[in-house]
Amino acid sequence: MYGSFSRMRKIPIGTIILYIFLAVIVFVCLYPFLNVIAYSLSGYNAVLSGRVTFYPIDFNLSAYKQILGRTQMWVSMRTTVVVTLLGTATSLVLTLFAAYALSRDYLPGKKVFSGLILFTMYFSGGMIPTFLVVKGLGLYDKLGALFIPQAINVFNFIVMRTFFRELPKSLEEAATIDGASETQVLMKVVLPLSMPILATMALFYAVGYWNSYFEALLYIQDPNKYTLQLRLRSLLFGEELNTSGRNIEGVGSEVMAQSLKMATVAVSTIPILVVYPWLQKYFVKGVMLGSLKG
Amino acid sequence: MDNLVIRRRLPKKLKLVWSCRTLYLMLLPVIAYYVIFKYIPMYGVTIAFKDYNIFKGAFGSPWCGFDVFRKIFSSENFWKAIKNTLVLNLSTLIAYFPLTIIVSLMLNEVSHKGYKKTTQSILYLPHFISWVVVAGIATNMFSQQGGTINQMLKSVGFEPVPFLSDNGWWIFTYVICNVWKEIGWGTIIYLAALSGVDETLYEAAYLDGASKLQRLFYITIPSIKSVMVVMLILQLSRMMTIGLDAPLLLGNDKVMSVSQVISTYVYRLGIENAKYAEATAIGLFQSIVNIIILLAADKFTKAIGEEGII
Repeated sequence: MYGSFSRMRKIPIGTIILYIFLAVIVFVCLYPFLNVIAYSLSGYNAVLSGRVTFYPIDFNLSAYKQILGRTQMWVSMRTTVVVTLLGTATSLVLTLFAAYALSRDYLPGKKVFSGLILFTMYFSGGMIPTFLVVKGLGLYDKLGALFIPQAINVFNFIVMRTFFRELPKSLEEAATIDGASETQVLMKVVLPLSMPILATMALFYAVGYWNSYFEALLYIQDPNKYTLQLRLRSLLFGEELNTSGRNIEGVGSEVMAQSLKMATVAVSTIPILVVYPWLQKYFVKGVMLGSLKG
Repeated sequence: MDNLVIRRRLPKKLKLVWSCRTLYLMLLPVIAYYVIFKYIPMYGVTIAFKDYNIFKGAFGSPWCGFDVFRKIFSSENFWKAIKNTLVLNLSTLIAYFPLTIIVSLMLNEVSHKGYKKTTQSILYLPHFISWVVVAGIATNMFSQQGGTINQMLKSVGFEPVPFLSDNGWWIFTYVICNVWKEIGWGTIIYLAALSGVDETLYEAAYLDGASKLQRLFYITIPSIKSVMVVMLILQLSRMMTIGLDAPLLLGNDKVMSVSQVISTYVYRLGIENAKYAEATAIGLFQSIVNIIILLAADKFTKAIGEEGII
């Protein structure tokens, strides 16, 4: 009785305004995505006359067909997938090693090593010395340059170390008493318990590698090794699309290019949207842990 | 006596080290990574004090004292890049800081779980979108010819606005893009602080007849004040640091006089024009200023009774 009574209570006007206000914010936040979808699916005339705003006009898939028909796109996509996979694996293993070893409080010298890692958050050699080192190692114009020089993220290291520190000590002690070696403790006890944090870290790293563009700009010269983001940039802001588009399409290419651009944007963002639900499940916790100090 | 203790302790220590050999083996690639990619470049900053010659390298080039610094300090472009960095960072902060708090407070008031969750999910999303994509969408929306926003303005009878080609409007667009991308992400920390506020305070205030607005101003805001202060100091201490992606991708030749910031200047000078010594010197100057600001900010937060930020 009480329940239904209270449910019938008048909703205060303030609450209604609040909900509407938030809905407006959400719309503003989503609108750019709608814009991309609308442009990428619209017909040539609709884009030319500037009628496209919220939804596709003269729906057609030709922009997507054209973009997916480019071998360049597929080559870049493959490069990015390779870099993301190799990079995530490398980062995950190194971060795991660092975080696990330095979470053991009996390890002599752990303060020094942790300090060595944390110090890099506050001071770095900067862009040019790092560039020269990478070049000196012969990594210039190699895909390795896109993940090896930034394999470990200090924040992820802190998050993971905090996680390992908080694992119940009794489990490891029990395993040690039963004669398990350090490696066995890690493989049989710690890792199975760490799957959620490893998944989170893998997602963080993978999204980072997928989105990273500056490293590619710095280190990659050969257009055949362009990553997706670098390709996207040259399509969006360079002349690449306009000139080649003109050859295929003839007169209307300038406007066609706008749909094409937005289709490219959509294609390169879809993988992020696909993993987003999983990402979202973990990152709030990750952010909170990461904001704790080392 | 002492000798005996040390002699007995030393093998013990060595034994401990030996028992941790697996852990050290794990640390080996990690340390190698940090030495090669972080600490050698730190040594590399010495080229800022050298008459750098590509063929002689960082070790072989002759020292030249502060000549490089004298050169950059007397360059107009350098000071302009610093000014632009501060202007862009401050403009972003002025919009971002209060808006994040307002949105957090609004989200905190939402009692419908599904509504709150959906809103949060959508607001967090732009954080994970790459800057190339953001800049691409922004260009499509804000461009003067055929940009969606200008089309809408035109249809209600306004003149087109040069969002991307006028200095003032470009800063505005830059701020909008940054706020759009990061506002949801920024609410996480405030929402966590808000969820920690003691419920009984609200109940007591409610019983005492405090209105919703009074509860907001006398309970909610004071409870997250310390988080607000720390976040503000943290953001202020990053005033000299600016990501390269946003200014480089959103910028264009027309707005170069406001979009050229420290990071893009270092990139253009060092990578595009191969002036390694000068670009390194600018980077080093920035790092040192950053450390000074950070230490000062840390002292300040401790002085006002908060936990330090380092």
